[in-house]
Amino acid sequence: MRYLKTSEAAALLNVSPNTLRAWERRFGFPRPQRSPGRHRLYTHGEIAALRDALLDGLSISSAVSRAREGLGADTNALVGALNAFDGARADAAVEGALALRSLDRAVQEVLLTALDEIARRHGTDSVQWAFAARWGNGWLRRAQRLVSPSMQPIRIVLGDASRDDLDPDAAYVRALELLATRSGATVLGLSVRGVANMSEVLATHRPDAVVIAGSAQPDDAVARWAYAVRLATGPLPVAVFRRGAQRARVRTTGAAILPSTPGEAARHLMELATHSAASAVHRTTSPARMAADGA
Amino acid sequence: MTGSHDRAGSALRLVPSTAEAACPSQWFCGHCGAPPENNQTPAPPARVCGDCGLGLLIEARADAVPKANEAFLIVDGSLSVCALSATSERLLAVAETDVVNRPVMELLSPADAEASGPESLAAAIMWAARGEDEPRRVTVRPANVFGVRMPLRVGACGPPRAALLVFDDSR
Repeated sequence: MRYLKTSEAAALLNVSPNTLRAWERRFGFPRPQRSPGRHRLYTHGEIAALRDALLDGLSISSAVSRAREGLGADTNALVGALNAFDGARADAAVEGALALRSLDRAVQEVLLTALDEIARRHGTDSVQWAFAARWGNGWLRRAQRLVSPSMQPIRIVLGDASRDDLDPDAAYVRALELLATRSGATVLGLSVRGVANMSEVLATHRPDAVVIAGSAQPDDAVARWAYAVRLATGPLPVAVFRRGAQRARVRTTGAAILPSTPGEAARHLMELATHSAASAVHRTTSPARMAADGA
Repeated sequence: MTGSHDRAGSALRLVPSTAEAACPSQWFCGHCGAPPENNQTPAPPARVCGDCGLGLLIEARADAVPKANEAFLIVDGSLSVCALSATSERLLAVAETDVVNRPVMELLSPADAEASGPESLAAAIMWAARGEDEPRRVTVRPANVFGVRMPLRVGACGPPRAALLVFDDSR
């Protein structure tokens, strides 16, 4: 996908960079991503859609609305394909979305939005949802396998507290795993139902942060898992993602609550893990870790 | 002798002229109402207002163009709001981003006593959106407010063709 700097995007639209930033504040569109140096990067597809809409528009608002509708067509195409139980067409719809957006946004704005729409329209006990959830989780797993191995020494353990692929949170958990991996972390996903021999896995994969994602598993199962991790690794930053109604209770434990969108959550998680990794350099081996290793 | 011929020519026109009367037009920003720099016609890909950056430059008959501080909105032939000036946002207490693509009747209603019928506002907008040049005048009120009457002049504007509704301050 092609990205444009602010000056390039502004030149394409025949406006000043300040105007482009003013549109972002007022209309939330076009919505840039950030480069590693925090500079704005616009996707070419969004800018091209807006330029075409401006050519025969009567206002910036209506042009933005038309450009958004055009981009939203991918979501409609995906919903249509999933409703028709057509996996190949669904794959093609996501490929089309990826031509205009980053993976982060294609997952959030198209794939997860389409899954939410199917769950809302047909219910999570419908055959449409059964097909869509299975396809969505499969697609995210395939994408995860294609991510190149991380060069950063950031390691994250993800405690999956979703029920199965039919759990509406499952695709969000997969998406968080994918986007954190894309951000450069090595993510080890474990179901919170597996607790025995935790020190064995964490001896080979010493994490910088732990995240508990999903709301299907009960609090006591999650607490047992978190305790086993803590016993094996010592104190680590813990974050919670889409824990639903149990949020208020979790907040009192000092865990960080991640935003509910996977892209934002992955960014927060990376910051947490990077900070923890940096401070671990100066940290001596903790007594708790030695106790866990001995155990 | 020549002078008397000229006077006769101007007074007596045997064949009616088919040329329309000259009708000056003017460009203005669909958000802040400001004219383009040097009052020049903007190039099609460069219609974003240089002053506020939040509106597109629109052309309308000079007598329909909003004067300074006159609130206005732009409505298309399907009676959907396409643009709302900053003054209108304050006058009607709405945000442009919330009302664009919404029916104009959600914002304005014909003021019953003055209007000949509920279709008069819609008809004036439809005529203007079809390109009828002569501005029409109707009286309206905000859709959710009674006892307020606001004179409105409805003219054609574009491109693309649409109706320009200006809350008339001149009366």
